[in-house]
Amino acid sequence: MVRFLKLYEKIGIFILIVLASIFLGIATPNFLKTDTILNIITQGTYGAIVGFGMVLAITSGGFDLSVDAVVALTSVFLSILIPNIGIPSAIIISILISCFIGFLNGVIITKFGVNPLITTLSMATIVRGVALLIANGKQIPISVTKFTVIGTSKFLGVPIPIYIMVVLFIIFYLLLYQTPLGRHISAVGSNENAARISGLNVVFIKIIVYVLVAFTASINGVIRTSQAMIGIPSMAPGFTLLVITITILGGTSLSGGKGNLVGAVFAGIFISMVYYGLNLIKVQYFYQLLSVGLILIFALFVDGLRQRYLEAARIKGIKV
Amino acid sequence: MQKRYLKIMLVTLVCTALILTLSFLGCKKEEAAGGASMQVKTYKDPSEITIGFSLWTMQFTFFQNVEKGVKDACKDFGFKYVMIDQNSDATKMVQDINALVGQKVSGIVITPVDPGAIGPAVENARKNGIPVVCADIGKSGPVNALLISDNFKGGQLAAEFLAGKLNDTSKPLGLGNLLPQWTYARQRGEGFLAKAMELGYNVAANIIVQNPSAEGGYDTMQQILSAVPDVAGVFFCSGREAVGAAQAIQASGKNILSVGYNGDPEEFQAMKDGILNATVLQQPYYIGYRSVEILKEILLDGKFYENVEVPVDVKLVTPENMDEIAAEILEKTGNSAFPTE
Amino acid sequence: MDELRSRQLKQKLGLFWGNFGLPLIFILIVIVFSITSPNFATSYNLLSNFGFASYVGIAAIGMTFVIMTGNFDISIGSMLALVGVLGSSFIPKIGGVGGVLSTVAIASFLGFINGIFVTKLRIPAFITTLGMLYVFRSLAYIYTNNVPVYISDRFWLYFGNGKLFGVIPFPILLMVICYLVAYLILRKSPVGRYIIAVGTNAKAAALSGINVDNIKILVFTLLGLFVGIASIVNSANLGAANPGLMGQNYEFQVITAVVLGGTALSGGNGSLGGSLVAALIVTFLGNGMGLMQVNSYWQLVATGLVMIFAVSLNKLKFYLLGQGE
Repeated sequence: MVRFLKLYEKIGIFILIVLASIFLGIATPNFLKTDTILNIITQGTYGAIVGFGMVLAITSGGFDLSVDAVVALTSVFLSILIPNIGIPSAIIISILISCFIGFLNGVIITKFGVNPLITTLSMATIVRGVALLIANGKQIPISVTKFTVIGTSKFLGVPIPIYIMVVLFIIFYLLLYQTPLGRHISAVGSNENAARISGLNVVFIKIIVYVLVAFTASINGVIRTSQAMIGIPSMAPGFTLLVITITILGGTSLSGGKGNLVGAVFAGIFISMVYYGLNLIKVQYFYQLLSVGLILIFALFVDGLRQRYLEAARIKGIKV
Repeated sequence: MQKRYLKIMLVTLVCTALILTLSFLGCKKEEAAGGASMQVKTYKDPSEITIGFSLWTMQFTFFQNVEKGVKDACKDFGFKYVMIDQNSDATKMVQDINALVGQKVSGIVITPVDPGAIGPAVENARKNGIPVVCADIGKSGPVNALLISDNFKGGQLAAEFLAGKLNDTSKPLGLGNLLPQWTYARQRGEGFLAKAMELGYNVAANIIVQNPSAEGGYDTMQQILSAVPDVAGVFFCSGREAVGAAQAIQASGKNILSVGYNGDPEEFQAMKDGILNATVLQQPYYIGYRSVEILKEILLDGKFYENVEVPVDVKLVTPENMDEIAAEILEKTGNSAFPTE
Repeated sequence: MDELRSRQLKQKLGLFWGNFGLPLIFILIVIVFSITSPNFATSYNLLSNFGFASYVGIAAIGMTFVIMTGNFDISIGSMLALVGVLGSSFIPKIGGVGGVLSTVAIASFLGFINGIFVTKLRIPAFITTLGMLYVFRSLAYIYTNNVPVYISDRFWLYFGNGKLFGVIPFPILLMVICYLVAYLILRKSPVGRYIIAVGTNAKAAALSGINVDNIKILVFTLLGLFVGIASIVNSANLGAANPGLMGQNYEFQVITAVVLGGTALSGGNGSLGGSLVAALIVTFLGNGMGLMQVNSYWQLVATGLVMIFAVSLNKLKFYLLGQGE
């Protein structure tokens, strides 16, 4: 039983995906086409990419509610910079600006000791305001057609955003599980005081984490802007809640210390499947919201049972 | 210990009883006082007049143009002008309208995020002798005038356009619908569905754009493509979303007709770039300008307006008549129909 | 000697700031707006702003309890909408009084369910209520089929728009009473001590014989009750209960008020008065900036800056008192 539960922890979300696939496969002939599947995965990447950053933030015991605003800011900067300085430098500068927002988040949280929720929520309002100010509230169309390659073209039949996600996944995976920094992030999340006492530079680690979250949000902004080909200061409303849902559904523990990047990928794809499936069988929008909520609660219910069982086993002296 | 619990219980009970009696007595009294007819204060000098404007949000192009119309009209007539942004929040809207009454403005223009929720706030304004005009969206309870865009007709125009171009009822259509809370604007979708059915077309996909912006339109178009791979024409109920959907069609390499709604500058640009096939033009600037004009007639000329509904027409813009209409807009409003800067 | 004196001075300043810092900021804001926009400081405007502040303030009282136990509830915006549409739709059948009472009862029950999920299923409060946020909102849509419920019942409307003696908005009285009841619970009853004990150290509280689960369920139920009252006030202000538009972003406004008011998100002791003053600050700020004709994009920036600034100032108290964090 213990072994089964350990296994579930790793692949629980994967089981949900298999179940959903079987259901969709039976319900509709269109589902089993390569195009449809790639499409669903692509839509899943948007949340998953930012999910990687959020996994780090939550693992470090923090939170970031400013990701949607950072996406919008990136979009606005891209649309202004691309006609002037070309695509590569525009992308680099936009990403750097976003990283700076993350840096500010980190500094305010660590140096002023302001709670991460409040810091990033305030930062979201500020950044959204700045994006609107810069764009003067307007949407700015991008006419450099080459830029559309990033979000819409395919390489070997697979859309580019999927490659971007895979690359980011590898980077974040190595970072979180194979480097000392990753271990330090987990250590800070599990017990900040202990981490500090054992000589870790908590301030530095946290700042890095928030920079990385903003980095992922910014990548998302680049992809989305390249698809819409327009700079949108009001981009991605309500996106933060979706990212948090994906992160948690993916099995990252809210109490900090334990991040699950694989889960984030599959949770992103799963949510995308749910929306696809519900649209397909023409379920009303209301019920779509309901099902996301119920899935979340169900996943957590199972997770709660698992933790209780493991705890009981631990008390009984069974090696877990 | 027990005593303390009792004390709290007692206090709570007494308080509840107090609240209920007070509000009961209060509401009985108000009922007697209610129902007074509206007394508008009229002015002789335009410079004494201040127009208060409560706007849904400055984040969408459509509303920015309404605001421009209101502002320009105030300037033209020599009125002072106060604008408060509702920030898409119905509660803030009600607070803002109340604040405008507190500022003793002479007349109020509202573009409400939630037309169902302006009732008591408008009642309060009118009780204080301040006339209220709703600039588009809708209303609840009595106002002096309401200017309303014909959303149902707009949707019908879109369906007619697609039917005329396709000329084959076996081809499925798609609809990118609006969020359920925007009841008034969902008339566009209703109009589209009704007309499509009348003309014998099947709207095979009707998907709500969850994220009301261009990238949300892109996602929804992808979903429509997955659900109905042979879709031949789509209508998106808002310009922002239509532009994103047009990009998704472009990326798919398929030949699908797309129609948007609003006539936002980015839609004109998309039509110029040849990726959007048509849009339904609204007249936000006119709606804003005319609202203030009506207030001027009430406040300066003493004209009587009560629950007057002013329909505002919509029309179809295609790449063929685009330049002509853009020139017309420029002449009438002084604004370019295309993106500036 | 000097060091001692400066420490004493710091202590005094810290205490002073802890007690009067937020009210001072509030008064400052009122003064600034009175100078910049005419008619801001009229009794009509100030009173109606106080009335509107109760929308955030009443729920902030309940949220203070929940946060003091180290928990969170982000479902309250959806809950506000759900109980609003439910209660107001009952009016034709059971009358205004029945509608009001049933709204409060349903809201308490929903809070109770949140509490059960958090304690008995051991799902962290943040995620439980995140799930509930979707569930409540969709139930509100489904129940009404997205048609707003218009309210014409005078009794119900009085809760939002009524004026005592023709001047004082009724919601102010509601807010004051809610505060008094909450104050009694927190400071004059053993329950208050238990709440603080649970928030400070749940394990120690359990060992000393406090039923931690029951206390948590209680605070969630209380929050539900307060949200129910706020829902009546809000829907009365709006004249209608709209399943989609009521309570958007409400959870963030309320949590902001509580944190701004000086309650630590990590749990432990909190400040009911602080939450109320913070609710006033948030409401007045939004209103005043609009009247000052601040560009609405700048308003967003300014709101964020003020929030960070105010919370940092809160830290000043701890610094002056010589307490870390």
